Amino acid sequence: MKRFLEKLVEGALLLSGSITSITILLIVIFLFKEASGLFNSPVIEEGYVLGLNKANPVKDLNSYQIKQIFDGEITNWDEVGGKEEPIEVVRLSDLTKYYTEEELGASFENIPSKASELTSKHAGIILFLPKEYIAKNFNGTLLNHETLRPGDFFGGKEWYPTASPSAQYGLLPLLLGTIWVSLGAILLSLPFGIAVAVYLAEIASMRVRNFLKPLIELLAGIPSVVYGFFGLVVIVPFLQESFKLPVGETALAGSIVLAIMALPTIITVAEDAMRTVPRATKEASLALGATQWQTIYRVIIPYAKSGITSAAVLGIGRAIGETMAVLMVTGNAAVIPHTLLEPVRTIPATIAAELGEASAGSGHYQALFALGCILFLITMVISISIEFISKKKYN
Amino acid sequence: MLTIDAKNVDFYYSDFHALKNINLEVEQNKVVAFIGPSGCGKSTFLRILNRMNDLIPGTRLTGSVLVEGQDIYAPGIHVDELRKKVGMVFQKPNPFPKSIFENVAYGLRVNGVNDKTFIEERVVESIKAAALWDEVKDKLKKSAFALSGGQQQRLCIARALAISPKVLLMDEPASALDPISTAKIEELIYELKKDYTIVIVTHNMQQASRVSDKTAYFYLGELIEYDETTKIFTNPQHISTQNYITGRFG
Ligand SMILES: Nc1ncnc2c1ncn2[C@@H]1O[C@H](COP(=O)(O)OP(=O)(O)OP(=O)(O)O)[C@@H](O)[C@H]1O
Ligand SMILES: [Mg+2]
Repeated sequence: MKRFLEKLVEGALLLSGSITSITILLIVIFLFKEASGLFNSPVIEEGYVLGLNKANPVKDLNSYQIKQIFDGEITNWDEVGGKEEPIEVVRLSDLTKYYTEEELGASFENIPSKASELTSKHAGIILFLPKEYIAKNFNGTLLNHETLRPGDFFGGKEWYPTASPSAQYGLLPLLLGTIWVSLGAILLSLPFGIAVAVYLAEIASMRVRNFLKPLIELLAGIPSVVYGFFGLVVIVPFLQESFKLPVGETALAGSIVLAIMALPTIITVAEDAMRTVPRATKEASLALGATQWQTIYRVIIPYAKSGITSAAVLGIGRAIGETMAVLMVTGNAAVIPHTLLEPVRTIPATIAAELGEASAGSGHYQALFALGCILFLITMVISISIEFISKKKYN
Repeated sequence: MLTIDAKNVDFYYSDFHALKNINLEVEQNKVVAFIGPSGCGKSTFLRILNRMNDLIPGTRLTGSVLVEGQDIYAPGIHVDELRKKVGMVFQKPNPFPKSIFENVAYGLRVNGVNDKTFIEERVVESIKAAALWDEVKDKLKKSAFALSGGQQQRLCIARALAISPKVLLMDEPASALDPISTAKIEELIYELKKDYTIVIVTHNMQQASRVSDKTAYFYLGELIEYDETTKIFTNPQHISTQNYITGRFG
């Protein structure tokens, strides 16, 4: 009977273990499956095509080039590998500049033939039209088969999912935004957190410690919106004032808010690690004439290294994955940041802000999932490498 | 000049009166053994001599303790300087989680010695003085935790010797060791006597009689008897001392 019960408990534990692992695995698979469609989605808006003059040697354009052409930043075909020839952008609404309404027909039935005619006559034209307005015998080259390339995503310098005709899903601004904000947060919180941990573990009297420790642990439980609100009301105006910025919502504001949020975790974990240093080891150091500070940095910190490492990992993890507070204070500008004092936008904030408006299965939706994969990979690489480093040092 | 001179020392753990009016003198290059039943205050008194009790909150001391003529509880005394002069070996070996070499070099490094060749020489000398050299000379870079308990304890002695203290305090240094390691430590104490003044706490009567010149018998926080070791073990003045050394209690 007893044996049977033990087997039962064992089985239950195994089951819950496997269910957990399988669930996590399924989430990861789902994430990557949804994201994988991104590179099969068209560069330009669904249902539209781009038409060029037959003589134009340009046969393909990437997403960013299309955007620049339609924004008027690229004005000559030689900038995208064509002949010296000014670019002439023609959208559906522009057709009226070339033809009168009568010529286009009362119910626009003549648009296909006119569009074809226009394309064949103008050497520098780029025509952007819905598919149904393209005639069977369209006299030009169509660029409708293009799909988004990995370079458009991984090397893309702009995130602008509503851009028309070609939505921009550039990873770089978001990735850099995330890295800047997280790096800033870690640089602020790690030294400070370890200092507080040292103070609590080694210097503070029992009374002070018994008061501060629960307080700090309490801070870890405050929801992130509250931190975001605090950041918005206190830190953002403060930064704007002290650096004389046009806007206070910057990467630095995000870093500070994240640092404050990560502190309780870092302090608690690092302090617990330092308290595991045996009294005998500390006494050995002091008995050899070491001062308290020498004992702290030569014995206690090295001894607690692996604990401090996990404190750092947990802190970074919280910083990289944090969404709400960052969304509130960083200004949400998806541009590549050059200093910490510019508005940025992080990957998690982007996903949170945009997933609601992206229709399932669209390129935008898939791009957001791809961002999720990137986030997953970053945290995985960080924790594996830190684990690796701390193991190597330990041996 | 007396190496250690304690006068009218009373010591309290918060409101617990752990030592009562202790007067004890130790001459240079002598070995003194502290004996007495568990809880009588031997370790407490030993830790007074290098101010290790300072680490325990709520402790208080009255009276005076002179080491080489200097009142170590006087204001303005630097405890780290004092501890350089009064080294300590603990009951359980407590090496640092560092290499054998770095364990011994530690005391030098924290005391501001940077000269690499000097450190190397001193480490080798100390390990030799602690009778450990032959066993570790090929693995100085290895972790100290890879040594046996007895070797670790001799490493801790080497570590204490490296900073050239005047006094060596040993709190039951052999209690966690096997007979062979114990014998090695005892031999070592005999050797070290030439250069150091040694105070050793022990529960082992044979050990006290073998290694020490003088013996102090503590009982319930009081120093009952303090005399030449031969006299304590052959002709104690107090019945309590006699009862203790003959094993009738304790
Ligand atoms: N940190 C402390 N706080 C309060 N009381 C203490 C503390 N350390 C020791 N004591 C008390 O002081 C008395 C003397 O202790 P001490 O450790 O000096 O005894 P000891 O003679 O070394 O005993 P043992 O032979 O068991 O090591 C004991 O009654 C003990 O309970
Ligand atoms: Mg003791």
